Amino acid sequence: MRRFEFLGRFSRNRGALVGAVLILVVALMALLAPLFFPVDPLRIVGQPELWPGEDPDFPLGTDSLGRDMLSMIVHGARATLLIGLFASAVATLIGVSVGATAGYFGGWIDEIAMRAAELFQTIPNLIFVLTIVVILGSTLTNIVIAIGIVSWTPIARMTRAEFLSLRDREFVQACRAMGMGDLRIIVGEILPNALPPVIVLSSLVVAGAILFESAVSFLGLGDPNVASWGRLVGDGRLLIRSSWYICAIPGVAIMITVLCLNLIGDGLNDALNPKLRDR
Amino acid sequence: MSLLALRDVHVRFNTAAGVVRAVSGVSLDLAKGETLGLVGESGCGKSTLGKAIMKLVPVAGGEILVEGVDIAPLDRRQLTDMRRKVQMIFQDPYGSLNPRSTVGRSVAQPMVLAGWTAEATAERVETLLRWVGLPTDAKQRFPHEFSGGQRQRIGIARALALSPKLIICDEPVSALDVSVRAQVINLLEDLKGEFGVSYLFISHDLSVVEHIADRVAVMYLGTLAEVGGRDQIWRSPQHPYTKALLAAAPVANPKLARSRQRTVLQGELPSPLDPPAGCPFHSRCPIAQDRCRAEKPVLRPVGGGALAACHFV
Amino acid sequence: MALPLDVRDLSTTLFTRRGEMKAVDGLSLSVGAGETVALVGESGCGKSLSALSIMRLLPDPPARIVGGEVLLNGRDLVVLPEEGMLDIRGQEIGMIFQDPMSSLNPVATVEKQIAEVLMTHTELGRGQARVRAHELLELVGMPDAGRRLDAYPHQLSGGMCQRVVIAMAIACSPSVLIADEPTTALDVTVQAQVLALLKKLQADAGMAMVFITHDLGVVAETADRVVVMYAGRKVEEATVDELFETPLHPYTAGLIGATPVPGAARAERLADIPGMVPPLNALPQGCAFAPRCPRVMARCRQERPKLTQPAPGRLVACFAAERG
Repeated sequence: MRRFEFLGRFSRNRGALVGAVLILVVALMALLAPLFFPVDPLRIVGQPELWPGEDPDFPLGTDSLGRDMLSMIVHGARATLLIGLFASAVATLIGVSVGATAGYFGGWIDEIAMRAAELFQTIPNLIFVLTIVVILGSTLTNIVIAIGIVSWTPIARMTRAEFLSLRDREFVQACRAMGMGDLRIIVGEILPNALPPVIVLSSLVVAGAILFESAVSFLGLGDPNVASWGRLVGDGRLLIRSSWYICAIPGVAIMITVLCLNLIGDGLNDALNPKLRDR
Repeated sequence: MSLLALRDVHVRFNTAAGVVRAVSGVSLDLAKGETLGLVGESGCGKSTLGKAIMKLVPVAGGEILVEGVDIAPLDRRQLTDMRRKVQMIFQDPYGSLNPRSTVGRSVAQPMVLAGWTAEATAERVETLLRWVGLPTDAKQRFPHEFSGGQRQRIGIARALALSPKLIICDEPVSALDVSVRAQVINLLEDLKGEFGVSYLFISHDLSVVEHIADRVAVMYLGTLAEVGGRDQIWRSPQHPYTKALLAAAPVANPKLARSRQRTVLQGELPSPLDPPAGCPFHSRCPIAQDRCRAEKPVLRPVGGGALAACHFV
Repeated sequence: MALPLDVRDLSTTLFTRRGEMKAVDGLSLSVGAGETVALVGESGCGKSLSALSIMRLLPDPPARIVGGEVLLNGRDLVVLPEEGMLDIRGQEIGMIFQDPMSSLNPVATVEKQIAEVLMTHTELGRGQARVRAHELLELVGMPDAGRRLDAYPHQLSGGMCQRVVIAMAIACSPSVLIADEPTTALDVTVQAQVLALLKKLQADAGMAMVFITHDLGVVAETADRVVVMYAGRKVEEATVDELFETPLHPYTAGLIGATPVPGAARAERLADIPGMVPPLNALPQGCAFAPRCPRVMARCRQERPKLTQPAPGRLVACFAAERG
């Protein structure tokens, strides 16, 4: 029953509904990519630099090497979404662990955790990601971890703030009075109450991670074996004067996806934030 | 042997503004089957003392003896036995239950922690809910579906789970409406009659304490001002603070209210950060003398089994 | 001469997504000069919304006055434009809220907050306003008043903040003072001080006072007349002595029975009222108290009892009480 309530509140926000539907389409596209385009998207299949609509076989045209743009976009959705999701998962995992520990225990643990978070915040994010990728190599895993490491601080701060306000609530004291251990209180009692705003933030981190990955790939430091959207934009940048569509099409795809993720974040915020309920 | 014995208990908090002596040297005894009322104004340390007994705040000094065992130095694992004997009911019925846990899960927690089987736990939860007058289908529902009074019943069910000998009631009815407050007080009294549980009943509401307690302890600024039998405290209070407190309490009877002599106590509670030297009450006391400013009075017998901490009674 | 405050058939409805709820339903209330009328009830009975309706301070949406009159010295406030209310609030009618800390501006000094009220409603200049603020603080018994003028609210205790709020409320000598649970957040000894202060101020200035509270002890100490509310409606009205001596409505009787009186013989159980106040969007048909009432009859479940006058100066809305 509570779940339906949640869906009802979420769908009351029109923008969020549109965002969710579009993201679902993108995700389906990513999942079913091998079904529609069984051929490796990086294979040369036609003439180079065919404009969209010029050849009915390639509705979105071909790039400078003669590869099918549509096939690359559909396959690229996979890489892009996966990077976004995993990077966000890494960031959430680090952020929630650090934030929960800092907020629950307070004192010097809190001091150390928050100083560490500040340290990460002062490092320019993109440069940090590039450095890690350059040192450890341009593999998907490294990129995901690097993006996760630069994105965890806001999640940690949010989790910490929630824990600070929840840890002195009487239901937590009641658990202590029963003799419940700290880990059990943190994970079983406080975390479920602290999660809603964290989930909202995580959905926004997915969008941020996609942008990061695009930037890294645009600079040519992405995983060479993966055709993410960012890489497509990067590949097309030399021809931006003559065949600008090669940049524009994956660029628009990134824009729409990030926009949709932000809309979903807003919708989640409305649906999960109890203060806004019943207005 | 008393069920609960406090010997010179101290609790201090380090705050940015300095050290707060929330409880400074409280000694009390609570016999089996007894209800001890602990009254005082906000900041007098009564709730802190309750939490100290539950080890929810660190104890800076003294002994807390539960059936003769000092629990002050014990760690969490060693406290398991004590947790079974002593439980707590909280003030805020909206804050004392996890909003994301079903009532069944909240009430079952003590049994789960004690390692009961799932069937035994489920059975116990139903029994407990029945005892406190809630329908058994309550266990699948969430706290927000209940009113304040019902939530307080849920809290009581949870406290009763492992058949404790003592329940610390921290302002259990302060947040409730008048009619519901009476229901909860009656429930507490019924449970006491049925299971012989003892209460440490912490409240600022004198009329409620007078109704429920056998003995009363009056706290002021972290120390005990007076301890005595209920009737004794109400009929012939000895300590000037107890007198003032009783005079200030509104009486729900207009004729009685008009007829009685009221001496309104002047001033307000001093800050526990900077308690007055000597007797903590001397700054507001109508009969204070030089000796009170210099020398801290100790609790001593003042007749009728009562103890008071005042040089001049 | 018109009464200082004469509320007639006031109705306030909450318009929410879950439907319309009659939070205040046909409330009539008159207060004479120098009189204290207590408005009593449990949470959700509409007593605070009644006060906000009188002050026209309702949160709109969702709440709106849908009928009735609020006559302040003969002038109807319900039809007054908002600009007109600005002159009246603080000038002719003062209000004291429950939480003194949150009803003061945390970043302004005590003197500034009192002076602002004075300068809004009177011709006083800055310097004169300061002098008057000092006088007012002394009037409300603020210890060390001169030094407290430049204090900020957080430097004061709850009791002292409430004194400042009272000073602001009486700054322009209003003819009506509305006190919404003014002592609920205070300690017993401080509550006694504030109650004594309000009594004295009222007696000196001849103010009409509406005292909203859930605490029957406070009612017995302060009120001349009592209006008991349940689920948005007035269910009983009587002088304070009559009400405590012979409560007519079963709800009033229940409330009195549920309040322990110190010094009374013990051993007996408190008389509790079973169940709880029904939510406004699920009021039963007929009398709203019927499901909890010990004297309920078949008629109570179908028909809503109207206020009747069983004796001069007494009103009650109950079929059982009509029968005697």
